[in-house]
Amino acid sequence: MADATIKKVCVIGAGTMGAGIAAQIANAGVPVLLLDIVPKEGDNRNVIAEGAVKKMLKTDPAPFMGKRAAKLVETGNIEDDLGKVAECDWVVEAIIERLDIKQNLYAKLEEVRKAGTAVSSNTSTIPLENLTDGRSDAFKQDFLITHFFNPPRYMRLIELVAGPQTNPATVDMVREFVDRKLGKTPVDAEDSPGFIANRIGTFWIQAAVNAAFDQGLTVEEADEIAGKPMGVPSTGVFGLVDLVGIDLMPHLMESLTSTLPKDDPYQKIARSEALIESMIEEGYTGRKGKGGFYRINREGGKKVKEAKDLKSGEYRAAARPGIVRGAAKKSLKALISDKGKVGDYAWAIVGPTLSYAASIVPEATKTVLGIDDAMKLGYNWKTGPFEMIDEIGVAHLVERLQADGIPVPEILKMADGRKFYRVEGGKRQYLGTDGEYHDVERAEGVLLLEDIKLSSEPLMANGSAALWDVGDGVVALEFTGKMNALDEQVMKLIQKAIPMVKKDYKALVVYNEGSNFSAGANLGLALFALNIAAWGEVEKSVKGGQDAYKALKYAPFPVVSAPFGMTLGGGCEICLNSDAIQAHAETYIGLVECGVGIIPGWGGCGEMISRWEDNPRHPNGPMPAVSKAFEIISTATVARSASEAKEHGFLRRDDGVSMNRDRLLFDAKQRALAMVDGYEAPEKPEYRLPGPTGKAALELAVESFHRQGKATDHDVTVSGELAYVLSGGNTDVTETLTEADMLKLEREAFMRLVRNPKSQARVEHMLETGKPLRN
Amino acid sequence: MSDVVIAGYVRSPFHPAYRGALAKVRPDDLAANTIKGLIERTGVNAEDIEDVLMGCAFPEGEQGFNIARLVVLLADLPLSIGGMTLNRFCGSSMSAVHYAAGQIAMGAGEVFIAAGVESMSRVPMTGFNPMPNPELAERSAAYIGMGDTAENVARKYELTREAQEAFALKSQQKAGEAMKKGSFKDEIVPFTLPDGTVIETDATPRPQTTAEDLAGLKLSFDENGTVTAGTASPLTDGAAALLVCSADYAAKNGLKVMAKVKSMAISGCAPEIMGIGPVESSKKALQRAGLTIDNIDVIELNEAFSSQSLATIGDLGIDESKINLDGGAIAIGHPLGATGARIVGKAASLLQREGKKYALVTQCIGGGQGIATVLETA
Repeated sequence: MADATIKKVCVIGAGTMGAGIAAQIANAGVPVLLLDIVPKEGDNRNVIAEGAVKKMLKTDPAPFMGKRAAKLVETGNIEDDLGKVAECDWVVEAIIERLDIKQNLYAKLEEVRKAGTAVSSNTSTIPLENLTDGRSDAFKQDFLITHFFNPPRYMRLIELVAGPQTNPATVDMVREFVDRKLGKTPVDAEDSPGFIANRIGTFWIQAAVNAAFDQGLTVEEADEIAGKPMGVPSTGVFGLVDLVGIDLMPHLMESLTSTLPKDDPYQKIARSEALIESMIEEGYTGRKGKGGFYRINREGGKKVKEAKDLKSGEYRAAARPGIVRGAAKKSLKALISDKGKVGDYAWAIVGPTLSYAASIVPEATKTVLGIDDAMKLGYNWKTGPFEMIDEIGVAHLVERLQADGIPVPEILKMADGRKFYRVEGGKRQYLGTDGEYHDVERAEGVLLLEDIKLSSEPLMANGSAALWDVGDGVVALEFTGKMNALDEQVMKLIQKAIPMVKKDYKALVVYNEGSNFSAGANLGLALFALNIAAWGEVEKSVKGGQDAYKALKYAPFPVVSAPFGMTLGGGCEICLNSDAIQAHAETYIGLVECGVGIIPGWGGCGEMISRWEDNPRHPNGPMPAVSKAFEIISTATVARSASEAKEHGFLRRDDGVSMNRDRLLFDAKQRALAMVDGYEAPEKPEYRLPGPTGKAALELAVESFHRQGKATDHDVTVSGELAYVLSGGNTDVTETLTEADMLKLEREAFMRLVRNPKSQARVEHMLETGKPLRN
Repeated sequence: MSDVVIAGYVRSPFHPAYRGALAKVRPDDLAANTIKGLIERTGVNAEDIEDVLMGCAFPEGEQGFNIARLVVLLADLPLSIGGMTLNRFCGSSMSAVHYAAGQIAMGAGEVFIAAGVESMSRVPMTGFNPMPNPELAERSAAYIGMGDTAENVARKYELTREAQEAFALKSQQKAGEAMKKGSFKDEIVPFTLPDGTVIETDATPRPQTTAEDLAGLKLSFDENGTVTAGTASPLTDGAAALLVCSADYAAKNGLKVMAKVKSMAISGCAPEIMGIGPVESSKKALQRAGLTIDNIDVIELNEAFSSQSLATIGDLGIDESKINLDGGAIAIGHPLGATGARIVGKAASLLQREGKKYALVTQCIGGGQGIATVLETA
């Protein structure tokens, strides 16, 4: 496979981007050499690269997925260590955006790199043909642009730009690596200014800022409209500019206006505002500066969110305008058709932006897919420009553009009222520039439920879950409730799935394509039951969950869970009860029940002890596994990556990690299939636990945390129950407990806690505010 | 009956647990290396040694299996030498001295090694399997955390955070001064790591510490308290060893006598204020020696915490200028099992260096005890 040839990478330039790229390469388990210049002063010649790694270890959100990753980054400088490039299969240049300096570096790289080593630039502004000017043909064949987005760990887009001489095999080698190892979605871009995402994104920002000033909107109003209702992140436009840095705006503008043709529509809208200029001058550059269009005012010891008045330039308390109402909240077409301020503003952005996006196919990228993927993955838009156009309707959009005298791009004329996307014969297709529909092709090893759903019906389904045939004898269990919450319906479907899979299939994977794997049990339902004191019902649902998860664990076929994103509480417990886990690298898994005043009730307690007991690097005796499980559960620890999840024991050492989200289902399926031959359900564990002495030891620790102010009064109660369960209740070290004994202990303690009004207050508070109550 | 004398004192370098250079060193190896150094430096005939007594507060894991005997074997000492591990938590290796003194007085041997070791990196404080008696845990403070006792003492004696920090600062400064003068050189037995690196100095002291640094630290044990990491002794890896023998034996074999053991005592107190343990044990030891605190010239008071040190100083009426001349555990570190041997050895060497007559050596002990030894110049 091509990606096998990249075994070591060199990143040159340890700024935010270069360092972040190096971190992501290390996250993939690949050694990386990070080089920067030698500073003019000081003795340490590697201080810039070393400093960048140190800084990243403290950065939040973390560029590294774990401490081990940081150790894979070797630091150095370009004067002493450039020779080490000969050990690398790919060199990423992420230095200052100056053509002469880049060219100078490439000349040196040409001397030290071995033949076939790919060299790529992370430039966002300089055309490829200028970069390779003066280099040999051999160098040009191995050169391309790999444009990452900030922060490199979290943004999934990478734009790939190949030059006319670039060897396709080199591009494929890099493409495979960034896809499989770095988990990015490569989008092919042409060598045109700003490539795809920044070109459209900058246009969109400019249009939105201009319109806010022109139409006299407040920043809060503008962000309410140009946020969620438009399918873009809720930061809106001013919030986004605050986040990326207001001082970046003039640079982006300068770079685009100087490189785009004079008749490009962006040239017409590019303008600067006196207020913004003075903000930058005075250091109000956004979140990284003294404040931006928003700031948190901490005067007088209170935190007050303030917003900039665009007319007076003064800060005032931020408002929640609430002006987007009714259908405009849900439908883009309704939003731009809304009468008055909301519709006017939305249209002033959406009309020109969609027209602009449509006008740069095929100049910036060959297909509409490239445009949509770039905006969804690079700017976190929920839908891409062409998906928005389909939502509005091509004919309707053309009509409105014409009415406003906005140019109608060729591709819209060519579409002639047709949609840009359609489903034909169970396949998703897009409209090409040739006027024909083409299948949306997935890379080898990418399997999406989204695609499967286009051509099939669920094997079984109810209000909270569904079962899908994902091929090769594997069934996928999908959660379908709100936030993928788990409830009785899910448990019922699990119980029905088991005989079906046993009879007609080979294995089961637990997988879905929501924003998160699952945030756990449905708290709303639980609170309802608590409010009416339906204790019998509550206990039944705890027992139902335990039974369903254990039935999965002991089912006569392999079960693999494929978590990603938030995987909390009951979502974590289904993973713990699976034969294996194939996790996305960005999995945030934890047993967070204590935060709402309860303890894990679906087998999580016993499973965590088993996992720590199985850890070969752990001391023996009745306490270590219990202490570790207690520490992790009582503090509601959530791992911040799959790598960290292994350290906490949520994942076993040999559980799999997929870097690319789109490959998760395929990888989980392969893992399950690999276990089919000779599969035997796991043996039931026996627990030898300390009993009351263990509880006493754990409670001593909790009392100490209580004195330190780290544990509240009710934390002491909740962790007391947890300590009781984890230490095996009233058992003795000479006795063994069965799994059923542990489940009973867990259930009983759970029931005592849910009856406690302070726990109920925690549940209620969580539902109302989304935050834990520290009572 | 012959007098009991201290005829040699060495220790390993002291390094902070987990992040120090000794974190990856097994405690048995560290102790064996230290004892070998003691034998070399004193020139004692190893064949004459009766027993190796090893203090250790958490004798399990790598410190388990009767580490004292294993160290005899590791150090390639004659097989005729015995080995016994003693545990009195922080007082373990001072108890080793007491035991040796008792044996000698009884005529049950002439030469002993009283040593101690603790790798707080490799065997956690509380051990791997803390299993308290639930009933006792319920009705007493038997298992109370040491930091909590420091807070209790601070409260009981109304000791401010500032006063505790001033005391800690002085300890750091004294240790820094002693390091600069090379005062620890004679007592430290270098340890060579597998990669060839030779560790020959302490890494625990922070002589650059300022009052502002200390004032900026977060409270470690109680959100309404006064004790921080800066006013507590750090978790430390280290070992120490003394040669304890009869005065007759020392004279016959030409060993250099540092001090003689004048008196010894153990006392008990409430576990929740274990830090004041030294008060009663010191009083008992002084009385047995026929001395008062004013007769004492040199005092080694183990600085488990500033608060308990200050409380002890106040209750005993100690002249602060006499204590811990080269700094105390707040700066140098407190490898639990090794500290007793270190401070007895330190006091003996200070008597010689300062040309003084009497020394008091005392420690507080978790669970509510005090231990004290009075030394007299030889």
